[in-house]
Amino acid sequence: MEGISSFRKYWFIYWLYWQEGLQQRASFLMERFRSLVVLLSFYSLWSALLAQKGSFANYDRPQMMTYVLGSSILRSLVFASRTSEIAGDINHGRLSAYLLKPVNYFTYTFSRDLSEKSINLFSSIIEVAILSWVFGIHFQWPTHVSSWCFFLASLAFAVTLYFLLCFIVGCWGFWTAESGGPRFLLELFLEFSAGAFFPLDILPLSIQTALKTLPSPYLIFFPMRIFLERAPMTEIVQGFRVQFFWIIGLAVLARWFWVRGVDMYGAEGS
Amino acid sequence: MVKKYFRIWVQLAVMSFKIQTGHVVASGGYLLGKLVRIAFFLLFLASIFKHTQALAGYRMEEVALFFLTFNVIDIIAQLFFRGIYGIRALVREGDFDYFLIQPVQILFRVAFNTVDFLDVVTVIPVLGVTAYVMTRIPHALSLTSLLIYSVLCINGMLIALAIHIAVAALAVWTQELDNTIWIYRDVMTLGRFPVDIYSTVVRQVLIYVVPVAVMVSFPVKGFLHQLKPSDWLLACLMSTSSLALALYFWKEATRHYTSVSS
Repeated sequence: MEGISSFRKYWFIYWLYWQEGLQQRASFLMERFRSLVVLLSFYSLWSALLAQKGSFANYDRPQMMTYVLGSSILRSLVFASRTSEIAGDINHGRLSAYLLKPVNYFTYTFSRDLSEKSINLFSSIIEVAILSWVFGIHFQWPTHVSSWCFFLASLAFAVTLYFLLCFIVGCWGFWTAESGGPRFLLELFLEFSAGAFFPLDILPLSIQTALKTLPSPYLIFFPMRIFLERAPMTEIVQGFRVQFFWIIGLAVLARWFWVRGVDMYGAEGS
Repeated sequence: MVKKYFRIWVQLAVMSFKIQTGHVVASGGYLLGKLVRIAFFLLFLASIFKHTQALAGYRMEEVALFFLTFNVIDIIAQLFFRGIYGIRALVREGDFDYFLIQPVQILFRVAFNTVDFLDVVTVIPVLGVTAYVMTRIPHALSLTSLLIYSVLCINGMLIALAIHIAVAALAVWTQELDNTIWIYRDVMTLGRFPVDIYSTVVRQVLIYVVPVAVMVSFPVKGFLHQLKPSDWLLACLMSTSSLALALYFWKEATRHYTSVSS
């Protein structure tokens, strides 16, 4: 019974932020326009590269276009986040109000993030559909049901992984009011090393190997490999193991940061 | 007159510098982020050219020059016009009214309200790499091509100035449009690649509507001796007309300004 009530509480938070996200329509539309510009630039780049010969780095045209457009949708889902507000909540003392409410702050921020992700996901699907229609792009869909299942599972793990990373960075707000800079650096690094704009296997082998030791390739590149059915079963199993390892490790670290942070939280600014 | 404005700029720059050095962690993160972004993109370009010989007819060094020129113009524009990014807040919080009564050109005061020293640090390695890449294009490198490149870069910065003034005018006029400058920044990113990769419609937009191609692609094409006399004419026309239009727009916006919050 308590579980259902808890679910309703966080569903309500999700719904509130969904409404808030769509309330400022001009800002929302401009934000989507900006995303479309980035997509257009990378679509044009790959289009020009594939115009010279039918394939590029073992990707044929449908595969590469599916990667570029698919990763754009995944980026809008995985990288959409409002965790930057965590540091603000801490630094301005707003966290006190949440600590007094009957909510779990971690689940609260996750619900807030999910609403942001849903809005971005729907918008991104529409944008990609329009772009595909205008330029006559054909997607390469997975042919096996199992590929869909693995893809969706890897995506769920990727969302969790990114949220945990961002939650940890947000918790830096307990120790410094300057977490914005390191967060900016982390976001840029993750976006590049996740394969958000291009498949990572076009990079030199040494860099690919180095990147695979980090969690970032498992945010976009790994799910897209599964979607394109380019990953053999051994790679899928190994990928899930790595995702699981990072999620457990980061969850422990996030809890450690949170408990230590709340212990020394002084509610300055509230 | 010039001395007075230079003194004001130095004063504002010193204030900005003190603020930035007071936030070492944040500034360090932003600075590293900017450098990492450029380094990663160059790595991406190098990786692409491991699999192909050319992009839209350009070799790796030439494509890198397009990307670096985009950075040079973008960073210098941010360095000099960073204050424009905060104009909406200035208007909303009443600081704009305070600037209006100061004995200094209001546009100058707003534009230089913030001087981003992180951009100073960023532009130095970018200029260094640009110079290095130019030496890797020996068939184009000459005193004349360097002069052409510099003149067209300055022309590009004039257009950037015009766009920033127009954005500032819109903010004063409407007290809205927080995202406008960011839309310009994102459209500007289309200039990271040679304009030749885009479809005809997009290319026309990038030449005549938001002249990113004139700002970024033209200097590189000038360096590579690929510009026709008509392109030169177009470049001059775009910068002078956009600047004149933006200044007119700014004048009208400030004339209609009736104070918001002071």
